[in-house]
Amino acid sequence: MQRRSAYGLAALLLAAALGLPPAARAHAIIVAAAPGPGEQVKGPDVPVELRFNSRIDRERSRLSLLRSSGKPEIVPLEASGAPDALTGKLQALPPGSYRLRWQVLGVDGHITRGDIPFTVVP
Amino acid sequence: MALLLDIFGYLSVVLRGAVLAAQAMLLGGVIFLIAMRALLAAPTLARCARLVAWSALAFAFAELAFVLLQGLVLVGTLEITLGEALTAAFARADLISCAAAAAAAWLALSGAKGGRLLALAVLGLVILAAQVATSHAAARLEDRALPAFADFLHMAGAAAWIGGIPYLLIALSDRRDPTAGPMVARRFSQLAIAAVTALLAGGITMAVIYIGSFDALYGTAYGVMVSTKALLLSGLLLLGGMNYLMVERLYREPRAPIERLRRFAEVEIGLGLTVLFAAASLTSQPPAVDLVNDRVSWHEMVERLTPHWPRFESPDHASLALSELQAQIERAAATQSTRPEAYVPGEGTLAPRNAEDIAWSEYNHHWAGLFVLAIGALALLERSGRARWARHWPLLFLGLAGFLFVRSDPEVWPLGNVGFFASFRDPEVVQHRIFVVLLAAFALFEWRVRAGAWRRTGAALVFPLLTATGGALLLTHSHALSNVKEQLLIEITHVPLALCGITAGWARWVELRLESREGRLAAWVWPIAFVLVGIVLLIYREA
Repeated sequence: MQRRSAYGLAALLLAAALGLPPAARAHAIIVAAAPGPGEQVKGPDVPVELRFNSRIDRERSRLSLLRSSGKPEIVPLEASGAPDALTGKLQALPPGSYRLRWQVLGVDGHITRGDIPFTVVP
Repeated sequence: MALLLDIFGYLSVVLRGAVLAAQAMLLGGVIFLIAMRALLAAPTLARCARLVAWSALAFAFAELAFVLLQGLVLVGTLEITLGEALTAAFARADLISCAAAAAAAWLALSGAKGGRLLALAVLGLVILAAQVATSHAAARLEDRALPAFADFLHMAGAAAWIGGIPYLLIALSDRRDPTAGPMVARRFSQLAIAAVTALLAGGITMAVIYIGSFDALYGTAYGVMVSTKALLLSGLLLLGGMNYLMVERLYREPRAPIERLRRFAEVEIGLGLTVLFAAASLTSQPPAVDLVNDRVSWHEMVERLTPHWPRFESPDHASLALSELQAQIERAAATQSTRPEAYVPGEGTLAPRNAEDIAWSEYNHHWAGLFVLAIGALALLERSGRARWARHWPLLFLGLAGFLFVRSDPEVWPLGNVGFFASFRDPEVVQHRIFVVLLAAFALFEWRVRAGAWRRTGAALVFPLLTATGGALLLTHSHALSNVKEQLLIEITHVPLALCGITAGWARWVELRLESREGRLAAWVWPIAFVLVGIVLLIYREA
């Protein structure tokens, strides 16, 4: 009887261990962005401020700029500021299309990333 | 590293589920030992302590794997060292809980009594506190104390109830002292009532804080998952309530049979683990209250769930309906592009779907519905005892597995250009392949069982375990869509399928393990659940 019971229990745990691969979505989401997605902004200098729905670990978060060609350039982040925001400044941008790539580590350990396309006008 | 990034989101939630399941078993075991130590015989106490030790090791292993995965992804994406990654606040909390679990395993193996039991309780509190430190509550901007306390209560309640049941089964299997079992069961019932109260108090408080409004309950992925968890919990409470009555009877008549109590407790463990994996999926979602855009409205949900005639013909580009559908998708995509989107690493570069893709998917679901409806109807016919030939219904699942293997991912082999092995980098393809393997295994095992050859062997358990696992898999199945709202509308239609699958699996489990009135009743429940799955698939829509 004991062996049967142990067998049943093991089988139950196996059912759970089989995986149940779930949907993974982003935890930290942007609640306000400057520049916003698809926005046209005046250059050449563009201030950046992204606000999230949660506190973030700024030391382990990153902003990069993608030009229409070439590899991503890291945007220096301001060391202080609101605990839910990433701020920085894009300098000397000629008119054209860009993508701002962000990646944040939430204080709860969730890693999230995304792109914000925007255009610089003279 | 590229492969790790591809499967990161998928893997992190699976590991999180394993952490929560092991955590419940570890903490539930410690609480059980503290509450029952005076009632248990020494050999039973030792068996329980061994399970606590194994649960602690499983927890430490899963937690370490989880924190290393997060650390490696930070190293790969930020070009920092692993040391820098592992000094983040979340990693420190996770490593502390790993160390506490390792110490708990050592203590439990060296004999859990007296001062060691007290030390185990302290380590359990450290683990719970570390888990709260990496929860939604920790990342909130303000008012963190209340959600943190609610989360603490919720996890402690889940552990004491769900995590304690395996230990109850161990105690009930000890028949040397016939009076001990009823006393342990009664004390566990009282403990479970307190645990459920804590679980509900914590859960309802978090739901109010993180969901915030009725429309977010069905209009966001977080709200839908919480609603589904609540439905599963009501099933668990029903079983728990029936067991409570059984325990009271057992206390009055210690010689009463306890078979039903044990079998229902097994189902409680299975449903409990499903809820814990759903909870792991929930931790990766933004709280509903933060998702103010892209919510599904009541009208949109009703419109999507309104039945249409199934699509039994392959998609045709030139048809008028598809042109309209394409226009509808483009309108939805246009509203989406002005909002900032967020993804876990490895996702976020999904190709937009067109009308043909959707028609293809609906066609697949509708034919699958016909298969499952026929299977349910044949199983009912077999159950009625009027058609012996109907017992070959499992073979229809082989046909379904073949159909899905060929059609579910048209971009990969055998229909598309992506090779068979290369396709395993796409988590959605992997999920579909797992379904196909589960279906084929199910078909073969159950066919042999129905033929009578394996009726009394462990092979009979393949049906309930795979069906319940498949249902739980569906509960968290994701579709590769770039539009958050469209993704949620599809997930809403998967919830009834998942719940029917889970019901069918555990009903069959009860039928196999319980030779009584409840077992015979359960034998009718699962074919009906199959028929319902068939009907829901037949009216399934993606646009």
